Amino acid sequence: MSGVFQKSLPGAAALFALALSAAAWAHGPSRQKITEAVEINAPPAKVWAAIGDFHDMSWLPGVTKTTGDGGNEPDTAKRQLVLENGATIDESLYKYDAAGMTYSYRIDKVDVKVLPVTNYSATLVVSPGEGGKSKVEWRGAFYRGYPNNNPPPELNDEAALKAVGKVYRAGLENLKKKVEAAK
Amino acid sequence: MNAQRQAGWQLTGFVCIIAGLLICSPARGDEAFITEQTGDAVSVLDLSSKQVVAHIPVSGKPAGVAMAPDGKTAFVTSTEGKFVTLIDTDARTIRAQIAMPDTPLGIAADPSGRFVYVAGFYLPRLYKIDVAARTIAGSVEIGASPSGVAVTPDGALIVTADRDDNQISLIDAKSFTRIGTVKTGTHPFGVTIDEKGERAYTANVESDDISVIDLKSRKLLGTVPSGKRPYAVALAKGRGFATDQYGGTVSVFDLATLKPVKRISVGEYPEGIEASADGTKVYAVNWFSNDVWAIDSGTLNVTAKMPVGDGPRAFGIFLRKTPAAAGNLHNPSG
Repeated sequence: MSGVFQKSLPGAAALFALALSAAAWAHGPSRQKITEAVEINAPPAKVWAAIGDFHDMSWLPGVTKTTGDGGNEPDTAKRQLVLENGATIDESLYKYDAAGMTYSYRIDKVDVKVLPVTNYSATLVVSPGEGGKSKVEWRGAFYRGYPNNNPPPELNDEAALKAVGKVYRAGLENLKKKVEAAK
Repeated sequence: MNAQRQAGWQLTGFVCIIAGLLICSPARGDEAFITEQTGDAVSVLDLSSKQVVAHIPVSGKPAGVAMAPDGKTAFVTSTEGKFVTLIDTDARTIRAQIAMPDTPLGIAADPSGRFVYVAGFYLPRLYKIDVAARTIAGSVEIGASPSGVAVTPDGALIVTADRDDNQISLIDAKSFTRIGTVKTGTHPFGVTIDEKGERAYTANVESDDISVIDLKSRKLLGTVPSGKRPYAVALAKGRGFATDQYGGTVSVFDLATLKPVKRISVGEYPEGIEASADGTKVYAVNWFSNDVWAIDSGTLNVTAKMPVGDGPRAFGIFLRKTPAAAGNLHNPSG
């Protein structure tokens, strides 16, 4: 599936340069959050088996390759997602709980043209649903792509929420399809 | 206990005399004024009934909060709206809004009740607001991306956490000039001063630790490791309590030895934290999971989980002591 992550926008290069120059200031003061969830007709252990490896993001549309090292060790594991358009996202693991079927990671490096966010962290959690089913939640916390005042529309709070929501929904829908087909 | 609160809230022993205008209600607990940045509101959480008893719409993404010494006014910074809102805590209404020249975040009230101090995040300056006149009475340059603000109990010294300069600034309140800086860990965010006005504690977001600063000698006394991305510190019963945003924990440390004591699991992305006036409880405000958790500062057990609105930050002093001993005086229209 293409179009999950954003392509370069007209005029985005200039905006990106602006954002970069302000990046030393880290971020603006209003952090955004989003939670997307899906119910999967499979036991939690089976769903966790599909997403529990930090180095396997093959279930997320738009990702062609995941490379990295450090296993599932918090504060050690790092991965790089390679996207269809050749862009990359560098991420590191900071929480991992196999028994609780959850892990948390943050983005260390991403082009705001690809994902218009800064200071991004996220958690994936699998929990038991009704009748032996599972619930998967993807929770993200981040600041908009433009860290200073008066962001351009492509890099404002709404753009950040929209872009992350789109990735989460595509990922969770594909995960559901994949796990339920593997029965 | 936090110093900013020390000088205030001595209005115990109200007498219920003005029948018809004011009534005596059954004893209530202290209240928390929780800024809900995502939800554009301030919720009033009754810590005794554990219920939100009022919901005050405040636009512009409210984040920082300070309480007047008499508990009658809460001051709230709106980061996107660029204004400070004065909330009548009894009536649960907005009394005034003061426009700021920069994005306001951290805020602290002067113990005399005359001023509040507001950090402007980008320019960056500390602003002195004359509460009665509702005007900006002065400003002073501080370090980059100032976040937390605190005042000593005697009102003489203001401390700002200059996040991107990895330092605190010390501002003499009377002359309103910066008289010094002290280096901290990386990216100090919240800053808390103890009840004696001797020490400042900063939560350092990037270095995952707490800096302990002696205010008299202006020296770093020590550094205490915390959980991941600590946000702010509360003080109670000889211990420090730091909210760890990424850790989802409160890191407890001993104020005498500066050694870690315990890490307590709380909600997701805990941010604002403050001790009750009597020091028996610590309240952690969880930004992602939209709740406030109470911790017994003696046993270190979680004793309550109280839902609030969306995106609570409560960055600053958000507790208001409600006179409770002989029943509570309040305006029935509130």
